[in-house]
Amino acid sequence: MKQINSQSNIGATVIWLILVALTLATWRIGEAGMVGKSAMLLLLFIAMIKSQMVANYFMALRHTRLLWRGIMFGYFVIVGGLIALAYLRSLV
Amino acid sequence: MEAPSPFISLIEISNYQSITSKKNLPGDFALWIFIFAEMLVFGVLFVAYAFTRAYHVELFNESQLTLSRTSGAINTLVLITSSYFMVNGVSAIKQGLSKQCGYWLIGAFLLGGIFIIIKILEFHAKYAADISMSTNAFYMFYLSLTFFHFMHVLMGMIILAFIIFKVLNDGYSAKDYVGVETGASFWHMVDFLWIILFPLVYIIR
Repeated sequence: MKQINSQSNIGATVIWLILVALTLATWRIGEAGMVGKSAMLLLLFIAMIKSQMVANYFMALRHTRLLWRGIMFGYFVIVGGLIALAYLRSLV
Repeated sequence: MEAPSPFISLIEISNYQSITSKKNLPGDFALWIFIFAEMLVFGVLFVAYAFTRAYHVELFNESQLTLSRTSGAINTLVLITSSYFMVNGVSAIKQGLSKQCGYWLIGAFLLGGIFIIIKILEFHAKYAADISMSTNAFYMFYLSLTFFHFMHVLMGMIILAFIIFKVLNDGYSAKDYVGVETGASFWHMVDFLWIILFPLVYIIR
């Protein structure tokens, strides 16, 4: 049991480090003043991936029913998709 | 007395299964209804921000430059780390380690306090520059979204304070830790929403 928990802690630590790295990447892109379609899609994708990592690993939803994971993935697709659509519209 | 129809029995079994499987979600199911509702409200506001921006691109890009990307990024790191502390706290209480759990949760609480201080400094800077919700559409979204989120951090800290008090008084154990999981789920939601809010309002242009 304790071995399982220490394994899950190692997993959480890896996720935390990835989240930190992605946050620093987001900040760096912002500081570099990157704009345009590619930068927008990349930043949005990073944000949505990070939110899914929090949902699946920190909120521990990856072990739950498909319904709950589906709601989180639906959020990723619908909210992320609509934001991307609005930004693409402004680039036209 | 009439025998129950097999059809009704089937529904009862299916209802029972759906109720018991709700336990799959960590913590109290009632709070999850609240979490999903909050996510929906923020999701609508995020999309409204993006579509409003599409009609005022120059205004949004210009106003966005007045925000401190660095303080936004620091606050993201603070919340991500506090969420990680919560994960460790939940893991500790599952092993019956109340004291360790308490320390992790105190760490998460203190990081929440740092988030609040940075945010207050940010709000103060905007107030000093005579910026308010009526200044323009960007600041209306920026101030309302970040203040709404700020209130959730405060609420999360109040919930955390109660849980910490109970944990340090041995109120939870390896068999009874639903309260800790429930508080952790709320705290992760606050983190989840900020992870989208930060790049959307502070960075993407």
